[in-house]
Amino acid sequence: MSPPGVLVPGPFGIDPLVWVVLRLLIAVLLVVGLIFNGALLQILMERKLQAWAQDRVGPYHVGPWGLLQTFADALKLIGKEDVRSRFTDAAFFLTAPAITFTPMVAAWVVIPFAPGVQGIDINIGLLYLSSLGAMGVLGIVIAGWASNNKYSLIGGLRSAGQLISYEVPQILSLVTVVLLAGSLQLTKIATAQPGLQLNLFILPAAFLTYFIAALAETNRTPFDLPEAESELVAGYLTEYSGMRWGTFLALTEYGNVTIVSSIMTTLWLGGWNGPLVDQAPILGVLWFTLKVYVIIVAFMWIRLTLPRFRIDQLMNFCWKVLIPLTLTNLFVTATLKVALPAPWDLIAIGILNWGLVAAFIVLIPRLQRRRLERLRERLRTERERTLAPTA
Amino acid sequence: MDFIAPLIFVILAAIVVAGGLAVVLLPRITGSALSMGLSFLGMAGLFALLGAETIAFFQVLIYVGAITVLILYGVMLTGVAPAGADRRLFFQKQAGWALVPLKFVGVVATVFALSFQSNVVQQPGGDLEPLANAVFRDYAFPFEVASVLLLAAMIGAIALVKRGDD
Repeated sequence: MSPPGVLVPGPFGIDPLVWVVLRLLIAVLLVVGLIFNGALLQILMERKLQAWAQDRVGPYHVGPWGLLQTFADALKLIGKEDVRSRFTDAAFFLTAPAITFTPMVAAWVVIPFAPGVQGIDINIGLLYLSSLGAMGVLGIVIAGWASNNKYSLIGGLRSAGQLISYEVPQILSLVTVVLLAGSLQLTKIATAQPGLQLNLFILPAAFLTYFIAALAETNRTPFDLPEAESELVAGYLTEYSGMRWGTFLALTEYGNVTIVSSIMTTLWLGGWNGPLVDQAPILGVLWFTLKVYVIIVAFMWIRLTLPRFRIDQLMNFCWKVLIPLTLTNLFVTATLKVALPAPWDLIAIGILNWGLVAAFIVLIPRLQRRRLERLRERLRTERERTLAPTA
Repeated sequence: MDFIAPLIFVILAAIVVAGGLAVVLLPRITGSALSMGLSFLGMAGLFALLGAETIAFFQVLIYVGAITVLILYGVMLTGVAPAGADRRLFFQKQAGWALVPLKFVGVVATVFALSFQSNVVQQPGGDLEPLANAVFRDYAFPFEVASVLLLAAMIGAIALVKRGDD
């Protein structure tokens, strides 16, 4: 790869100046194609999986086995009339989907599909992804505000609160991995996990916290409060319809799911590493995609299994459980990394991380049960106190 | 090649200046907040153009992702002034007119006095390690003191808000 700022002649003797523009165009079209197809595929997958889990058939009318259902849906969305309520704030209402969509598209630049199959291999790739993840909030808040609708506004504000809160454990979990790999460069982090020495086995606690925070960042169940239909109609999406709604929900949400899954794949599952990659680097794309889709299926599985959080539970869980856990993990990992010599630090960090995971699984339900008991106890005494004079 | 970097610079500078002007001139405060985000984004682009990518992305992470959202949040919670209501203090406009030229001269003088004499050329993508060394080694103590100060300010703010709550 050439350093940025130096013009390289394109293939077939294309003029360097034309090639700069052409390359950009090809890359953008490729990414947009990937996002569209990914969204179509993932929506179909999600509906089929949901159907199987609930003992239904799922979409089966359009195409063989319902395969073309999402294509038909997409065509319907694009063909729909662009409806907008007169009392919405025109400029902001129309730009909000774009404000969430563009950072998501830009994030694809650094995702390493395989050795050499990457937009640009900057040395701060992880920082780049985090900063773009932070930008999407803006569009959601603006959408909620511009819709001039109380449900939308509450949905937008809830979403902003949720996204900003969960960004903290998300980035802290990333930092733990960065400490171990010693780089913010995604390709370096991927190549730092040869064979089965995956970060998943060494840093499972960081993976767990990142996974949970990523669920919250992408507004997936059990964290899909911004669009909780039982409370808020459709949250910040209430006033949107047609392809604007499609851009928001289908493209941005599923695109973001793909991006966080790619981050998890690169950071914890060894990225493109897999059998025969050294002989044929292009196989890396296959392994990468497979790993990404394993995580996406896990996301869908969770959506099928768990009910939605309440807003106070959501905030409590982030600030009282996830952030202390990630901070402990970061602190201990950093200390062990500095204190112990080369092979032993990994082993110590690994043991400690598994311990943290075990503590999380064992202690959280116990703490929760104890808290509930105390709450019930307080309610009982209060009721007795208030009922006492009348009795 | 020689004309591409200046061209990008001109575009980004125009975005920064236009965003800054829009912050002041737009009638609605939400519009101002968003234009501020745009201006910050343009500034991040300028940093990236200078080869300081880390600073550029911290600019996006903190200013576009956090500060702008915080301001929007604040705007939405404080409510909208009725149309025609003038909440300005009587000297606010005059003070602005007096301060702007002063500051402009100051900024331009500082820029020309300092930056154009420095001949350090930054390698692209090479600012991560110098930044980390500066923050965590050379200036670790001031950095920590500043963070303790911020923590104290935050606890103070919480204490003020929480007063008489329970």
